[in-house]
Amino acid sequence: MKKLVALFFVPLFLIGCSNEQTIEISGVSTDEVKKVEIEDMIRNSKEVYSGTAIMVNNELLVAIQVKPWLGFKEQKVEKKLQKEIEEKYPDLDVLVSSDYKMHWETQKLLEEGDSTKVTEEVKKLKSLAKEET
Amino acid sequence: MDPQEYQQIEQKITPPTPYFKNALKAFLVGGIICTIGQAITYLYIIFFDFTDKTAGNATVATMVFIAMVLTGLGLYRKLGAFAGAGSAVPVTGFGNAVVSAAIEGRTEGWVLGVGSNMFKLAGSVILFGVGSAFFIALIKLILVSMGVVEW
Repeated sequence: MKKLVALFFVPLFLIGCSNEQTIEISGVSTDEVKKVEIEDMIRNSKEVYSGTAIMVNNELLVAIQVKPWLGFKEQKVEKKLQKEIEEKYPDLDVLVSSDYKMHWETQKLLEEGDSTKVTEEVKKLKSLAKEET
Repeated sequence: MDPQEYQQIEQKITPPTPYFKNALKAFLVGGIICTIGQAITYLYIIFFDFTDKTAGNATVATMVFIAMVLTGLGLYRKLGAFAGAGSAVPVTGFGNAVVSAAIEGRTEGWVLGVGSNMFKLAGSVILFGVGSAFFIALIKLILVSMGVVEW
């Protein structure tokens, strides 16, 4: 019985060991160069294990998930990345968020094809992120 | 028999308190309660328009509500007897303290019974909670105006 329980826990511990970053970018009406550059920027922040970026027109929403043990650095990572992207593309309206809500919704938006819907959703998410109460 | 002798005998007869077992029970039950809370947080984030920041309030309200219903049904008492601090320290313990005190005062009428007893235990939690929150906010305000940290 004890062995069985231990066997059950082994995969749980091993999952935590994977070091891969999953970074996905989707954009409507954006050039490929920007996409690659932004992907590199997210990849360069070592604390991030999952990043999703949605680009529509001149709005950019980046949802990052920071590694569990580095959770206390979350806001710093967020700010650093936001500054980096803003400096490189001053014309873009950027929001970098480490919020789980953003992660969840952007994952869904990756498969969405309708660009007006994506634009609306990005706007909605940005206003949600500003909510304080 | 003098008092010292009595105490010696008493200590011999009393079974040893299972500290380790109690701590383990409290750890497990407290952990399970927190896991349920985390699940509720994700539920609010995924199915409603809550973010990490705003889901906390809704989660606390839900957990307290669940604890209140369980207390009314007499189930939280059983959990408390089993887990001790594990069921009292999470926010559910607050709901339990409010409702159980209200139930206790029921026989003395609505105003003097329920009304005055309701916050008998929880009142001090609220008082010191609000008090310490005020002082921490004050410290943060000072640090922010000195430029040490940001909001």
